[in-house]
Amino acid sequence: MRETVLTPKARIYLAWFLLHCLLIITISSREIFWLIAHRLTILPTSFSSTARKLDSIASTTLAQNLASSNPVRRGLLAYLHVTGIERGYGYFAPNVPGSYKLVFELHYPDGTVEYELPEVRSTAAELRLASLLDEIGRTRYDALREYLVKTLAGPVWREHPEAKTIRAIFGLRNFPDIHEFQRGARESYEFLYAYDFSLGKDPPQTKTP
Amino acid sequence: MESDSWLAVLRIGLGLQVLLYALSLRNDWNYLFAGTGGGMKGRALSEALLSSQSPLVPRLDWLVTIGSAAGLSEQGVLLLSWCSLLCGAAGLLAGFFLRSSAIIAWFIHLCVAKSGGLVAYGVDNFMTIGLFYLMWSPLPDRWSLDWRRGEKAQAKDSRLSGFFRRVLQIHLCIIYLTSGIAKCLGSGWWNGSNLWRALTHPPFDVLPPEVLVHGEFFFPLAGALICLLEASYPFLVWSRRTRLPVLLAICLMHLMIGLGMGMYLFALIMIVLNLAAFGPEFSFRLERIVFAWLRKSPASTG
Repeated sequence: MRETVLTPKARIYLAWFLLHCLLIITISSREIFWLIAHRLTILPTSFSSTARKLDSIASTTLAQNLASSNPVRRGLLAYLHVTGIERGYGYFAPNVPGSYKLVFELHYPDGTVEYELPEVRSTAAELRLASLLDEIGRTRYDALREYLVKTLAGPVWREHPEAKTIRAIFGLRNFPDIHEFQRGARESYEFLYAYDFSLGKDPPQTKTP
Repeated sequence: MESDSWLAVLRIGLGLQVLLYALSLRNDWNYLFAGTGGGMKGRALSEALLSSQSPLVPRLDWLVTIGSAAGLSEQGVLLLSWCSLLCGAAGLLAGFFLRSSAIIAWFIHLCVAKSGGLVAYGVDNFMTIGLFYLMWSPLPDRWSLDWRRGEKAQAKDSRLSGFFRRVLQIHLCIIYLTSGIAKCLGSGWWNGSNLWRALTHPPFDVLPPEVLVHGEFFFPLAGALICLLEASYPFLVWSRRTRLPVLLAICLMHLMIGLGMGMYLFALIMIVLNLAAFGPEFSFRLERIVFAWLRKSPASTG
């Protein structure tokens, strides 16, 4: 029997490999545990308590239970970001989410009203804009949602400086399933939020359905 | 002995990916990533969130700060970043100053992806993954200009090359396994409704629904096949007998995603990673088969 001797360099590579794989597996599986724990899958609800425990174990492995200022947690997070493994891979899973639409209603001093959409010049940027709209739709924090809508309203206002106020209307686009489509149903729009912005110092007014 | 063909595939593929990434965003670069002046000015929020998590993650703000110390405006730094990305891509494609090109491409792309975190999607993660492995791999490969320039001495640690290839292979297996399991857990992938939704929701609605509606019976079958293909990938891709069909099927799936949903960059990066991880032997085996067939054929014997 010939014994394999690992050089110190090989040991370092091996240790890195094991740690790296552990992190990838933990992050990927945590996403699945989260989906099961929140009953977003076809699994029976009895699985959710186990999934919650596994989710908690995964979070501990990723140092998520440490204080946000803890250097271990910060160092680990930095590593996850620079290697591109900070998020799982459940794209379009378990189900495809809905999509959102943001419309700007521009009000001019003479009473005219115009409508504008957030505009980018390329298909590649359109996909990125859709990510931002998803973020706006998903967030539970009103202040963050308002800030994000404002970031998109800024360029529209710069293009139309003569507008007096801008109302940003955010909603969900509902699409029929294939059978409804065959029966003649088409896209519908569900109003979610509206924000009024003016050039004055007044804070924006928020409206919800 | 591990051939370094996979590294050439990864290098050229990522070079092309970075090039197309930069070119596709050239008109919206300032709109998406500027912190002041024109555009969304959304960078500040992404970077603030990032700082609260970890101050060690690279971001555009670092470059802007360095640039302002050198008297450059933010617009100038953004333009310089975009040009650096192009140079990195050109270096990777040609195999010229490979290590520096790989580091530049990885770093600049990472800064842009992190500062534009709110407008990022899957393609950014996969580009970071690919560029990170490339940057650490034993470069140059034998098809690069650096190799021809004589930088061979430091490069030929074939065990190290094999090690990084194995890491990429295992990483892909985890990606498809977890992605496949997550899809299997959604009812919509078994009855076809998710595929219909994915193809008809903006901004993925490249094909008109009036055309797609004719595929009523195709969607449940295709949805189930996608689930099974992804979940079985890590089990079937290692066997020599099943590797080629699985690899072809997964590349075809990504090609269809690219063409059918307009996610060209996402499709390209996934195909590149797959071909680099599991592809090169096939090209050589195919060559051997073709040569063997040519030797046996009457034209070559006659």
